[in-house]
Amino acid sequence: MSYENKILQMKKLLKKNNTQHVIEKEPILKPDVPNYAGIWQDAGLKMIENDFGVVFLLEKHYPLDYKHGAIYLRELYDAFEKWQHTQNSHPISLTDANNLIFYDTETTGLKGVGTHIFLNGLLEESEDGFTLKQYVLADPSNEVAFLFESKFWQGRKTIITYNGKSFDWPQLQTRWTLNKKDLPPLKEHDHLDLFHGSKRIWKNDIARMKLTQVEEEKLGFTRLDDVPGYLAPIIYLDAVKSGQPDALLKVLKHNEWDLLSLLTLYVQATNLLCEDIAEESATTYTNIGKWYADLREIDRSEELLQQVTNQYTSEEAANAYFHLGFQQKKQQNYIEARKSFQQALPYLQGRQQIIALIELAKIFEHRDKNYEFALAMTKQALKLVTESSLWTKDSKSLRLADIQKRKNRLERKK
Amino acid sequence: MLQKKTIDELLAEWQQYPEMMERIEHQHTIDAMPAKLVPFPDKLHPSLVKALQKRGISQLYSHQRQAFDYATTGQSFTAVTPTASGKSLCYHLPVLQAVLENKTSRALYLFPTKALAQDQKSDLNELIEQSGEEVLSYTYDGDTSPGIRQKVRKAGHIVMTNPDMLHSGILPHHTKWVSLFENLQYIVLDELHTYKGVFGSHVAHVIRRLQRICRFYGSNPIFICTSATIKNPKELAETLTNTTHQLISDNGAPVGKKTFLFYNPPIIHPTFGVRRSAILEVRDLARKLYEAQIQTIIFAKSRVRVEMLVTYMKELTKKKIQDESIRGYRGGYLPSERRLIEKGLRDGTIQTVVSTNALELGVDIGQLQACIMTGYPGNIASAWQQAGRAGRRQDAALIIYVAQSTALDQYIINHPNYLLGSSPEEARIYPDNMLILMDHLKCASFELPFKTTDMYGEFEIQELLEYLQQEGVLIKTSEQWHWMSDSFPAHEISLRSASQENVVIIDQSIPANTRVIGEMDRYSALTLLHEEAIYLHQGVQFQVEKLDWEEKKAYVREVDVDYFTDANLAVELKVMSEDKQKHLGQAEAAFGDVMILATATIFKKIRFDSHDNIGSGPIHLPPEELHTSSTWLSFEQPVNWTEDDLTSAMTGVAFAMNSFIPLFIQSDRSDVHVIPQVKAVHSEKPTFFVYDRYPGGIGLSERVYDIWEPLIQHVFEHVDACPCQNGCPSCIGAQDISDKGKKQVLNFLKSFLLEELDD
Repeated sequence: MSYENKILQMKKLLKKNNTQHVIEKEPILKPDVPNYAGIWQDAGLKMIENDFGVVFLLEKHYPLDYKHGAIYLRELYDAFEKWQHTQNSHPISLTDANNLIFYDTETTGLKGVGTHIFLNGLLEESEDGFTLKQYVLADPSNEVAFLFESKFWQGRKTIITYNGKSFDWPQLQTRWTLNKKDLPPLKEHDHLDLFHGSKRIWKNDIARMKLTQVEEEKLGFTRLDDVPGYLAPIIYLDAVKSGQPDALLKVLKHNEWDLLSLLTLYVQATNLLCEDIAEESATTYTNIGKWYADLREIDRSEELLQQVTNQYTSEEAANAYFHLGFQQKKQQNYIEARKSFQQALPYLQGRQQIIALIELAKIFEHRDKNYEFALAMTKQALKLVTESSLWTKDSKSLRLADIQKRKNRLERKK
Repeated sequence: MLQKKTIDELLAEWQQYPEMMERIEHQHTIDAMPAKLVPFPDKLHPSLVKALQKRGISQLYSHQRQAFDYATTGQSFTAVTPTASGKSLCYHLPVLQAVLENKTSRALYLFPTKALAQDQKSDLNELIEQSGEEVLSYTYDGDTSPGIRQKVRKAGHIVMTNPDMLHSGILPHHTKWVSLFENLQYIVLDELHTYKGVFGSHVAHVIRRLQRICRFYGSNPIFICTSATIKNPKELAETLTNTTHQLISDNGAPVGKKTFLFYNPPIIHPTFGVRRSAILEVRDLARKLYEAQIQTIIFAKSRVRVEMLVTYMKELTKKKIQDESIRGYRGGYLPSERRLIEKGLRDGTIQTVVSTNALELGVDIGQLQACIMTGYPGNIASAWQQAGRAGRRQDAALIIYVAQSTALDQYIINHPNYLLGSSPEEARIYPDNMLILMDHLKCASFELPFKTTDMYGEFEIQELLEYLQQEGVLIKTSEQWHWMSDSFPAHEISLRSASQENVVIIDQSIPANTRVIGEMDRYSALTLLHEEAIYLHQGVQFQVEKLDWEEKKAYVREVDVDYFTDANLAVELKVMSEDKQKHLGQAEAAFGDVMILATATIFKKIRFDSHDNIGSGPIHLPPEELHTSSTWLSFEQPVNWTEDDLTSAMTGVAFAMNSFIPLFIQSDRSDVHVIPQVKAVHSEKPTFFVYDRYPGGIGLSERVYDIWEPLIQHVFEHVDACPCQNGCPSCIGAQDISDKGKKQVLNFLKSFLLEELDD
C-alpha cells in the first residue's frame, strides 16, 4: 500500500476536541531507566544516576607515553612549552592543560531542533596521562541527565574541537535551550577550532580537510574497521530501539579516535607553527607564513617565507616569493620586492600571475622609472585578463579599463 | 488616434453606439462614500502621533481606531478591509505602540508571499523613520543575507516573513529565536483570505506549530488578521489560528464611484448559441481604453490566455521600438521581472497589464483606472478583489465584466445581482486532511516532543503518534514521544502544492546562452509542457522540444507560429472506501475515498483568431495519481436507453454540474471535478463522481454529498432555460451537429433522474 493510502486509512483514528486543554504545572519526575540498561552495562558501559535521570559512561585512561599514530600524547606538554618560548602571538597558542577539554559529539542528524546529541566525548588531562569520558544519552527522556554530566555549566574551560564552532557547539546550545528550565545556565567557554587551523596550514596540500584524511596524511594514523560518521545516527536509533549496543560501541570507538587525533593534531600544528622548516611541503610552510602575515606577525612570517625560498626549488617557492614580495613592498623595500616578484613570476598562474605582473609594473614605473619594462608587464597582464575567464563580464571590463589606463600612461611617459 | 479621455467621457461616447449598448446587458453604479473619521486614541504614543502627522494624518479611519482598541486590550481580531483603505495601520499602530512601551516586545508579520513582505517593509520603515524612534524591523526569507540573520533573530523587534519560511526556516530552528518567541506579543496575518484551500490548511498547521512553540517559551501572542471581503472572515481566522477573534467589518475609508458594465459578446451562430470569443472582445475593449489612455488591468483566467492577450495587444505597439506600455504578469515569471512590471505600473510607464489572479493580492501597483475581467473569476470574492484593482481611493473607476460562453459566465450576466448583491464566498480550509495533518505532526514532533497526554491544536493525536513510532521516526519513552530520525521533515513538505517538484522551463534558443525562463507545477505541465506544446512567455512563443520528466526539465526554443496547443486529459477512477451512504429515492449517494489516474493523451493545434483545429499528436507521459475524497451518485440503468445515448446525456449533465457546483459550495471551480461513468467499476451502475482535486480531499465533495437533489434540480432548470436550441457552452457544452444533445439531456433529467431522486 502506498504511503498516502496508509495515511488515509487512519482517518478513523483522528478525533477532535475543541475544549482548550488546561496546562497543569507538572512536578519534575525522573524519567524511567530504559529497559535495556542491563544489556548496556554488560557491554561495558557504566550507568550513572544524577538528579535528572541516568546516563551511560565509558571511561578510559591513557598513559603519557601512549602513542596515537606517529605522536605520543605527552608531546602535548612539549607543545605548550613551545608556545611559552615563542615571541609570537597566535590564536591556537596555549601554555598549559589547565581546564583544557578536547570535545567531540555524535548526533542523530545534521540540523534543527529534532537532532539530538547522543554522545558527548571529552578528553582531558588527568593524573599521569589523559582520561577519555564518553557520555551516552540513555534515551531522549534522560537528556537533562546527559547534558548535566557534561559539566559545561561549571567553570570556564578551553574547548578544542574539529569544526565545533559551526556544528558541535551550536548543537549543544540548542539542546541546552530546550532543557533550560531544568538545567543550570550554559557557561561561556574559550573555543579553539582546529578545523579552521588545518585549513590555514594545509590548504592546497590536502584535498579534503576531513579529520580522517588529515590523520592519514599528517598524523601517521590509519583507522581499521572504522564506522563512517554518517552511519552514527542510524546506529544510535537502532541501539535505542533494539536495546543492542554492539554497533554503538563502534561509534564510541570512532569518537575516541576523533578525540585522540584532535590532540595529536594540536601537537602537529604547534610543531609546524613554532619550529623551523622540516619535512613538510613548501605549500604548507608558505601557508603558515601567510597566516602569520595576516596575524601581523611580520617578522615570523618573513622568516618562514625566506626559509622556504632558501630551502626549496624556485618552482616550489614561487608562492612564498609572491607573498614575500608584498611584505617587502609594505616595508618600502622595493628592490627586494621586485626581485621576489620576478622570482615568482615564471611559476605563477591565473589570478596570482596577473597580480604579480601589475605589482612589477608599478615598481618599474614608480621606483625604477623603467617605463619600457613596466609597459611590457602591463601588456602581458592586459593579454592575460582579456583571455581569462576568472571574472564575470562586468568585473572583467573594470579590470581591463584599469590596466588600459596604466598602459596609456606608460606609453605617454615612454 | 490616441486621445486622453476620462472614464465618464468614454462612457458617454459608448452611449452613442447602439451596437455597444446592445452588448452591455447591464450597467450598475456604486456611489462614492465619504470617510468615517475618529480622533487618535489618547494613549497613542507621542512619537506615533508625530509620525502620522508627518504623513498628513490627523485622524484615523474608524476601523483603524477599532483595531487599535482591540489589540491594546489583548483581543485577537480580524479586520475586513477593501484595497487602499489604510489596512496596514490596523497592525502597525498597535505593534509599534507595544514596542515603544516595552523594547523587549516582539511581533511577527506573515505575508503570503516574499514580495508582499518586502513591499510592506519599506512602508513600515518609513513610518518608523517618521516617528524618530529606533525600532528594528527586518524581512527574514531566502534572500536575507547570512550576515544579518543572527541580528534579525536576536534583535529584530518586527520580523516579516512568509508561512513557507516560518515552516522550514524558523520553527525547526526555534532555539535560535529565543528572544522572539519569549517576547512575542503580536502575530500579524495579512491577506488572510489567501489562506484557503490546501495552502490555507497547511498554514493552519504551521500556526498550530507556532503556537506550540510560543507556549513552550511562555508567550501567548495576540493575532491580528486583515482580509479582503469574504463571507466568513471571522470563521476563517478562528479555524486558521485556533483562537477566538473579534470582527471589524465597518470600513471607514472613503470609496470612489464605481461603474460596472456587464458585457456579453454577440451571438455569431444562433443555432448553436455560439458567442464571439470573449478574448477577442476583451482585446477590442482594451484597445479602446488604451487609446483613451486609461490605465487598465485585464484579468484572464489562465496563463495561456494572458499570453494570448498580450500577443494580441502588442499589435498596438509593434511599430514603436522598445515600447513597454503593454505587459503580461503571471506566476512563472521570475521575481526580478515581476518587480520591474510592478514598478512600471506604479510610475505609469505601463499602461495596460494583462494578469492572472496573481495581481489580486496586495502587490503594490498603485492606482489603475479600469479593470476588465475576461470571464467570471470563479467566485465572488475574487471578482471583488479584481474590481478593487481599479479606482483606488476617491477616483472614479470602470469595471467591465466580459462573459464567456460557459454556463456560469452566462448565468452571471443574466443574474448580475448574484455578483453585485450576494455576499462573497466563504474561504474554507480543512486542517483535518489526514495527509496535511500527518505532515505537520511530523514537523511538530521534530520541533518539540509530544507528551503522552498532549493534544496538537484541537486534535487528539496519540494514536497517530503511535503510527509514527511504527514508521520509525518517533520513539516513545515513559512520558514523551521523541523525534528519532536523521531526516528533516520540513524540507520534504511544501505548503504550496500537492506535487512537490516543479518543472523548470529552459530556453535553449541560443545554445551558448541557455537560461531558465520559468517553472510550472507537475499537474499543469502534463497538459502545457508536453513535447511539441507551444508555451507562451511574455507573448513570445516557445515550442517544447524535449520534456525530461525524470529530471523535471522542459527544453524550449523560440518559434513564430500562428497556432497554440491544447491537450486532453484522460481520467480513470477507482473507489477505495465508502464512508457514508444514503438512498435518494431509487438512487444512491455515497461519500468516500477514490483513486484517480490522470493521463495526458493527445494535443490539438489550434489556429489563432479562427480557433480552427489544424492538427494533433499523441502525448507520452506517465499518469499522475491522485488519492482524494469524493461523493458519487449511482442509479439504475434507465430502460430503453442505449449506452451511447446515456453517455452523451450524462456527459452533458456533468458539464453543467461542474459549472454549478462552485455556486453551491462556493469553491473555486478548479477545486472540484465531475466525472460521469455509464458503468462505474465498483457498482456497474451509471454514476456521477464529484471529487476534490487535492490528495486527501479538502472537504468540498463532502458538502456536495448533502446537496445532490437541489444540484440536479438546478442543472435541469438552467439547461431548460438556456436560449440555445441544441446545447451550447453555456449549458451542456458545445455539441456536434446532431439535434439530439440538449433534448436528450433534458429528457434524461426530467423523465428519469429527477424521478428516481423523487421516489
